[in-house]
Amino acid sequence: MIDCPRRQPASHRNARPAGVLALVALLCLLAGCAATPRLDDATRSAVAPRMLIGDVPFHGQRDYQCGPASLAMALQYQGVDTDVDTLIPQVFTPGREGSVQPEMLATVRRHGRIPFVIDGRFEDLLTELDAGHPVVVMQNLSLPAWPVWHYAVAIGYDLRDEAVILHSGMEAKREESFKRFDATWARSDRWAFVALPPGKLPASIGAEAALQAIGDFESVNGSAAALPAWEALARRHPERAMAHFGLGNARHAGGDLEGAITAFGDATAADETLAPAWLNLGLAQAAAGRRDAAHEALTRAAALPGPWQEHGREALERLTEEE
Amino acid sequence: MMKKLCRYLSPLLIAALMLGSLPVVAAPAPASGMITTQDALAAQGAQSDRERIHDVLAREDVREQLVAQGVDPAEVEARVAALSDAEAAQMADRLDQMPAGASVVGALFAVFVILLVTDILGLTNVFPFTR
Repeated sequence: MIDCPRRQPASHRNARPAGVLALVALLCLLAGCAATPRLDDATRSAVAPRMLIGDVPFHGQRDYQCGPASLAMALQYQGVDTDVDTLIPQVFTPGREGSVQPEMLATVRRHGRIPFVIDGRFEDLLTELDAGHPVVVMQNLSLPAWPVWHYAVAIGYDLRDEAVILHSGMEAKREESFKRFDATWARSDRWAFVALPPGKLPASIGAEAALQAIGDFESVNGSAAALPAWEALARRHPERAMAHFGLGNARHAGGDLEGAITAFGDATAADETLAPAWLNLGLAQAAAGRRDAAHEALTRAAALPGPWQEHGREALERLTEEE
Repeated sequence: MMKKLCRYLSPLLIAALMLGSLPVVAAPAPASGMITTQDALAAQGAQSDRERIHDVLAREDVREQLVAQGVDPAEVEARVAALSDAEAAQMADRLDQMPAGASVVGALFAVFVILLVTDILGLTNVFPFTR
């Protein structure tokens, strides 16, 4: 062992390690000490041990353009004909030198795909990747106090190596350890979404979140575009009255009166307290010329208390006046 | 100057919009027609009339803020139209504090600055030139 030359008094020599310790403690406090995320056993056995969606196109993310670049990768993979330069004026906000989350979702809608925000659980991320859906994730690469927000596209994982594979920054297929990735992802409250064509649903999405996502898509893109999504949702969640209700409205808007009546009927069967479903069922049956059935459905609608009761009563009155 | 003008104009604009949108707010569905999925979803979420007014105003607010943030005015209309009500309300409230995803170049620079400062303070020892 070699003795250090004693150039400084002992008290000064000890200041540096103490400072480093204090800094580490401070950083831990700021960052929330990171640990490798623990996967539940059900997910671990349900997903493939290794997954790479190899054919997701890569676009290097130029200055501040990680939003448009991530969108271009996710949209092109879903068959949308677009590129980074088209997306920049649609999503980038010069004053913020970046792209904000709501506009990332809105831009997906503009290109005819449905943005589904998934629950921020590590299991859900892996489930989506396992199902072959690239996931756009938001990360804070720095500390909460000095955030550096960043979008990347998760395209795979490896359970044995505990690594997530990302198209991120200027690097395609970058491997990031579960621990490091989760620490940066957690600082965005684990925000992530998948962009899917109408008719496809995320593997991990709950019925409520899917309803909202499809409803929002429909109000921007119209019922004809949303119809396949309602069909898929009603198939996956036959117990959800609102899924059938949305399907009924989309069919009705497309001129499919009989299909709409079937769907509204399914909605009232799934939840007989859903007043809008009885009301729309009655109006559709009246349009189809079935007065008795229409009368029965509108009576049910008018009997249910709530914000739609008045509409139900009025519709019932109009029907009886016409008779 | 612009700020002053805005301060006088904003209340007027809010009042005008509020009056203009009241009929829409009070009657979410036309009396003769079917109830739309969006209205039914909104009612399920127990959305009050006050919130509906807020949503209508929010879009106008977002439009102004995007222009102020340097977005091409020709693009603003389409960008606002693609937002859901909830997203528009979110942006109207806090566009200037929202996380905006940028790039890793910024990240490297931030880490560089932090390490440089801690180096100068003698807490870390990354860059030899700070000694």
